[in-house]
Amino acid sequence: MSTARVPDEPAQPGGAVDVAALIPMLRRIVAARVGEHPAAEDLVQETLVRVLEAEDRIEPGMIEPYAIATARNVMATMWRRKDSESRNRHRALDPSVPDEAEDVVVASEEQSAINEALRRLTDREREVLLAHEISGQATRSLAEDSGSTAGAVAAQLKRTRARLRVEYLLALEHTEPPTDECRPVLLALSSADRRRQREVDAGRHLLECDLCAKLSQPLLGRGPLRDNEIHVAISADPDIVAARQAARELAIRAGFSGADLTMLATAVSEVARNIVRFARSGEVTIELVDGPRAGIHVVARDTGPGIDDVEVALKDGFSTYDGLGLGLPGARRLMDEFNIVSEPGHGTTVTMTKWFDKKGTA
Amino acid sequence: MNSGPALVSILRQGDTLVASVHTALDDSEMVRFQNDLVSRIGEHRARGVIIDVAALDVIDSFASRTLRSIADIARLRGAVTVIVGIQPEVAFSMVRLGMDMGDVPTSLDLEEGLAYLARVNGRAAGGRRG
Repeated sequence: MSTARVPDEPAQPGGAVDVAALIPMLRRIVAARVGEHPAAEDLVQETLVRVLEAEDRIEPGMIEPYAIATARNVMATMWRRKDSESRNRHRALDPSVPDEAEDVVVASEEQSAINEALRRLTDREREVLLAHEISGQATRSLAEDSGSTAGAVAAQLKRTRARLRVEYLLALEHTEPPTDECRPVLLALSSADRRRQREVDAGRHLLECDLCAKLSQPLLGRGPLRDNEIHVAISADPDIVAARQAARELAIRAGFSGADLTMLATAVSEVARNIVRFARSGEVTIELVDGPRAGIHVVARDTGPGIDDVEVALKDGFSTYDGLGLGLPGARRLMDEFNIVSEPGHGTTVTMTKWFDKKGTA
Repeated sequence: MNSGPALVSILRQGDTLVASVHTALDDSEMVRFQNDLVSRIGEHRARGVIIDVAALDVIDSFASRTLRSIADIARLRGAVTVIVGIQPEVAFSMVRLGMDMGDVPTSLDLEEGLAYLARVNGRAAGGRRG
């Protein structure tokens, strides 16, 4: 790299002039791709630096195409980095130093909650989780270590993370769940395992257990968003209308029409009204089902006083407020399947299904 | 308390009140409607009441009970009530639910309802309408 060269060669330090001439073109290219992105100018400069670095490898006359290709690569790298950053954000500890005293306390509480949660895992769970998340060991190599398959390790990791989330939330609250049902319910929510949630009747438990209702808030958003299920909290008159309209909308999307829709909406109206009248608060869940046939499944849960004698309540004309006494028996006639479970002192769950009738008749 | 568009409108035509429900009503709105309508009967000295329920998506046990109460109260106040505009699906569900309108007369639509009232009240009112 002697400086004693004659200045007519293009790959000279004097070539920097050519590089500067690239700037307007690069700005145009970058702006076309990223627009007014704050990093636009950085991308231009980064490209220039790379072009300068490679200057003596570039053939004369190829500097423009080279710069263009470089600019594209630089931009692609930026997107890729952003993407992987957002995917891996949970892996990294936040390196920014919290400066407020409050932040320090919160951070240390969160830290100790995480430690506590990790401590509550089994040794094996903790070992695999840390090897994967912290040391970055791939599931395949973990599987080789334990003589298992990558899929099994991944499934195990998924369960471990679900448990960790639950234990973390419990540790953060410095509390132990009040009942034996709490942990299984929280775990089913945390792992977004719907079959398990049904098995442990998670919906009812959340109505009954204040702690779990609170703790489950951050867990409920987990799992893919489902648009074939609607929950309507029931506590006052307008909720009755909201519930039956939600049922109708879901049913329309499922292909229901005509009288089926109205029968479904009427039945939902009746069971929702029972919640408002007798239990004051509860929940109606409306769900599309596709097996064994397509249909709409409605679950109305409350934590009210329960019904002493379900058989009597299902008789026409039985009414404890000045209704027609047609609520429950009427809903039963409107739906294809109807089931009611009531535990005095604990509440009532009405489960009913309307099957989709392709002929449009009922 | 009740902002937004009116849920129900009650119009007077001669000695007939035409009450149209514009949207789905919840139970308390239903009760308020009943009270409004009953007080209007006295105010306007109405002899006929038409309730147009074409906009009701659902007539469940409470709604039909309230409609029947309105008709009963109106009758005691000297007015005949006709329910008009029950949608076919709604009618279907009401039958399945095991409800009917009792002895409250029903008509297909507003026109038929007015005609019915004209027939019933016609002798005294001169039968101008319908």
